[in-house]
Amino acid sequence: MKKIVCLLLIFTFGLSGCEKDDICDANTPTTPRLVIEFYDNAAPTVLKPVTNLKVVGVGKDDTDAIIFNEGGTSVTKYLTSASKISIPLKTDGTSTSYKFIFNATSTSPNTDVLTFNYTTQNVYVSRACGFKTTFTLNPRDNTANSGLIKTDPAADGIWMLNTNVVTSNIELENETHLKVYF
Amino acid sequence: MKHTLKYIFSLCFLLLVFLGHAQEVKDSTAVKKTIPQKTQTKTTKPAVQEVKKDSIVPPKTDRYGLRIGVDLYKLTRAFYDKDYKGVEFTADWRLTKRYYAAAELGFEDKTTDDDRLNSTATGTYIKAGFDYNLYDNWLDMENLITIGLRGGFSTFSQDLNSYKIYNPNPYWGEQQSINVNEKHSGLTAGWLEVTGGVKAKVFNNIFVGFGVQLKLLVMNNKPSGFDNLYIPGFNRTYDGNFGVGFNYTVSYFIPIYKKKIVVPEIQNQAPKKK
Repeated sequence: MKKIVCLLLIFTFGLSGCEKDDICDANTPTTPRLVIEFYDNAAPTVLKPVTNLKVVGVGKDDTDAIIFNEGGTSVTKYLTSASKISIPLKTDGTSTSYKFIFNATSTSPNTDVLTFNYTTQNVYVSRACGFKTTFTLNPRDNTANSGLIKTDPAADGIWMLNTNVVTSNIELENETHLKVYF
Repeated sequence: MKHTLKYIFSLCFLLLVFLGHAQEVKDSTAVKKTIPQKTQTKTTKPAVQEVKKDSIVPPKTDRYGLRIGVDLYKLTRAFYDKDYKGVEFTADWRLTKRYYAAAELGFEDKTTDDDRLNSTATGTYIKAGFDYNLYDNWLDMENLITIGLRGGFSTFSQDLNSYKIYNPNPYWGEQQSINVNEKHSGLTAGWLEVTGGVKAKVFNNIFVGFGVQLKLLVMNNKPSGFDNLYIPGFNRTYDGNFGVGFNYTVSYFIPIYKKKIVVPEIQNQAPKKK
């Protein structure tokens, strides 16, 4: 009899350790962004911050760029001078293109376009978070389906001198997927 | 309604008795039912004769048999919850004065609609174990306050109907939910339960009762690429292994044989009455 009561107590205390699982915790790895690091082309192991870089999805208005700092003004919140940025890929498509506008505030900005072609996988996360999408970049070749295509539609010269896909599996945000040398 | 009232009354009665001093409560409650006791308390002088009469009275017996019932909560839930269909039958067999072998057999079909997932679990389950009656009945009452243990086992299917992609950076817009209708069948789960319950005899051999269960999942065969969000019999799953349950039963007792209550107990108690 006493054993049963003990067991019941253990059960009850065990229950009190339960946590609410209805809200998706922000620390849970969900749909990852593509992480890009910028390096000095002259010294390829040294990280180099970009200057007022603005990243706009192709097909979107220039005023609807990726927000890099929430607290900034209508101009500065779209700009970054970091050496590492993260950009979201389309979860419902297999191709995403971005305009990378270097020195966006100057009178002579330089625009390069990167197109990512990839396949998606939808992976179960949890009750609260639902599913996430992970991406696999296609192999780099000369076709239109290449994992990474660099173009210069503005014809203002290419500022991304070199690009290197570190990993084509985009599953987590705590690793670098692409290195850009300039 | 009538049943509910009776049920509530019986419950209050039971709890009152459980907490109070046995002697006092017995006097106040016995008034309505037992004439022999009434006379006993009123006529204090010729008590010697009365006591003798008491011991001559046919010895008290405990009835042994099978009680079968149904969970009304599961049965009625289908009327107001279109995402749920289910039934649970309960049975217990009295082994000794206090121990009962108990089992539940059920079927559930539940669609769970979470913010990002919609899934349906369908399957049957069986739970078996024992109940221990903590309650000391007077006279010919047969009420129960039980604590028990069960082992549960379920075979079921878990169907993923639709899901949404969680994207914390919806720069390209939030994606609509995706209908998949993925079927995962042949799943199994096993768990342990500690149960607590009350059963009160409302009239003749009809009992009403309710019970709560705390569950510990010990075996959970998850579908590949998905999870068991609901397990028939176990109910909703949580991040840990714990679960909870509840039932509200109406049951019928089929008496099969009787056992005499050991006499010395009564004789010891009778003189104390004076």
